[in-house]
Amino acid sequence: MNAAVEVILSTAFLAAVLRVATPYVLAALGGLIAERAGVSNIALEGSMLAAACAGALVSGYSGSTWLGALCGIAAGTLIALLLAVARLNLGADAIIAGIGLNLLASGATAFAVFALLDDKGGTTGLPSGTLPTIHIPLIEDIPVAGDILSGQNLVTYLALLSAPAVAWLLLRTKFGFHLRAVGEMPEAARSVGIRVRRIQFLALALSGALAGLAGIFLSMGYVSFFVRDMTAGRGFIALAAIFLGGLRPWGVFFAALGFGAAEALAVQLGNLDIPPQLVSAIPYAATLVALALNAWRRRSRSDPAASTTQQIAQ
Amino acid sequence: MTDTMVELADRRDFVASRRRALAVDLSMALATILAALAVGFIVILAVGHDPLEAYRAMLTGPLQRSTRVGRWLEDATTLTLLGLSVAIPFRARQISLGAEGQLYAGALAAAVVAIFVPLPPVLAVLVPLLVAAVAGGAVGAIPGVLKARLAANEIVATLMLNAIVVRLYDYLLNNQLKQPDSGSVRSANVPAGSALTRLQDWFGVPLGRANLGLLLMLLTALALWLLITRTTLGYRIRMVGSNPDFARYGGIKVPRVIESSFIIGGAVAGLAGAHLLLGVYGRLEPGMAGGLAFEGIVVALLARNNPLVVVAAGFLYSYLRVGGDIMEQQTDVGTEIVVIIQAVIVLLVTARLLPDLLKRRLARKQMAR
Repeated sequence: MNAAVEVILSTAFLAAVLRVATPYVLAALGGLIAERAGVSNIALEGSMLAAACAGALVSGYSGSTWLGALCGIAAGTLIALLLAVARLNLGADAIIAGIGLNLLASGATAFAVFALLDDKGGTTGLPSGTLPTIHIPLIEDIPVAGDILSGQNLVTYLALLSAPAVAWLLLRTKFGFHLRAVGEMPEAARSVGIRVRRIQFLALALSGALAGLAGIFLSMGYVSFFVRDMTAGRGFIALAAIFLGGLRPWGVFFAALGFGAAEALAVQLGNLDIPPQLVSAIPYAATLVALALNAWRRRSRSDPAASTTQQIAQ
Repeated sequence: MTDTMVELADRRDFVASRRRALAVDLSMALATILAALAVGFIVILAVGHDPLEAYRAMLTGPLQRSTRVGRWLEDATTLTLLGLSVAIPFRARQISLGAEGQLYAGALAAAVVAIFVPLPPVLAVLVPLLVAAVAGGAVGAIPGVLKARLAANEIVATLMLNAIVVRLYDYLLNNQLKQPDSGSVRSANVPAGSALTRLQDWFGVPLGRANLGLLLMLLTALALWLLITRTTLGYRIRMVGSNPDFARYGGIKVPRVIESSFIIGGAVAGLAGAHLLLGVYGRLEPGMAGGLAFEGIVVALLARNNPLVVVAAGFLYSYLRVGGDIMEQQTDVGTEIVVIIQAVIVLLVTARLLPDLLKRRLARKQMAR
């Protein structure tokens, strides 16, 4: 057990948590924006995958890391916009359309890589760029915190900044206020002149862009290649973090960090005698419990009228 | 008992309308697949390969050898069971994404019973099947109860349960259930008495791993179709799915119906796990189900959740999967195109693009008349 505590308290581990949590934080905050606007974005996974692939491919062929990153984010946004069109213009079920788009991203990325590079696995044969790691001048010199907070990838810092940014956007701006109104009661929002569909479109686009940023971190952060189905369910973990975080920006941020910590821990504990599968299951179990507790609280708080009619009907 | 003329006519109309609905569902599924194939055709053409050659390999390949037919039958069995498992909750308008976890729970429970509990013949097959259904149903009950009693989001709950059960499965497979003398991670083989008989033992032609599970699947589909169309519970499930408020005012206990739909779906997914264990692999292996659980959703959607149509959609869809593998071996077009076709199917179905087109055409025809 002491060995486990030692692992958890090491600076290398805490730095790893930030690194592992980066895509979760970004995708979860993106998903939160869409969720609060009343559209569940199941296609986070597909956005990440499309972004990871487009980033590596464009960067590899153009030789420009930044152009690759930009195209990656654009690809992530595109998937979310397809979801928006399917949901808002064609009246499709958001969940089912999201599943379809995840499949589309999985198939299309693998197809594109195979068609361009004749490689089933990924873009390892194509030299592409990585986004820079940043050493922050003063923080770098602080004994322990410096090793954790400095020398991370650019995207990790963007993830850390995106939490206050999303909190500000959702809770402090007029746009955020309208967005939440749309999510809670679209009819009421429409009746006071809020353009519901436009706000939902924007929310989904933003959510796709953030998921896209998460995606390029995977293929352009610490490695410089795209691998088939590289996201490996991270979009769904992000979705869980949204609910574990109680649909609040900071809650979601810490929930995503928690998922990152559990994953980093599972990797570290592989060397010790603690089963990694069970450690990595903890956040999912926590999410399930949190989901039930939240629902239970909501139910016991909800208006008594609704529940009595239900009881009478029963 | 004599029926009046009016009653007879009424019943005739009813039967005819039901038959028409089945025909529409079937032709819609076929039309959707054809439309998706057309999209795939254009994509293959766009990247400069020969779509005709690729499609010839994909569409004729599965029937060319009996082993390939066997592969098709075996794959269609699992896929259809998974499609059926989500079609039932879908019918009650519950979006259950939990088939994966339910499948692994079923396989796990069946393996424990088959390997460790000595049973007389026949029972050695039936008991593991039953245990798998119960285990799958139990895993399905959790999100069902959470949704029905607490209104907790069933999508998140089922996804979480998938993650938990899959990890538990991996843990047990790597520790307690691991075959010690084997280099790879796998369980001991289930005893021969528990295995589902391979079809090739009956027909005398090599049919790969296709097995008696096929029959089990067909019976399950028939039972579920009867459940949905002919029983009170099925009626309640349909009512809750089409209008929960109306169902509630009509005196239906909505929470109980929702729970039932999840439990039934879970039990069927558990059977899919048992099929993989007792019929296909003969033991537990890591990642046994692959991505099949999500593909089951496609099949259910394609069939518009009608159990009998799910069977047809399962066979059609599985044919494309098996054909896709053959296409990849024989031509320079990869299996990824099948995933793209699948995605187009899902989007076409949920956006209701084809039905709307069809409706418009029908309306025009009626106008002309």
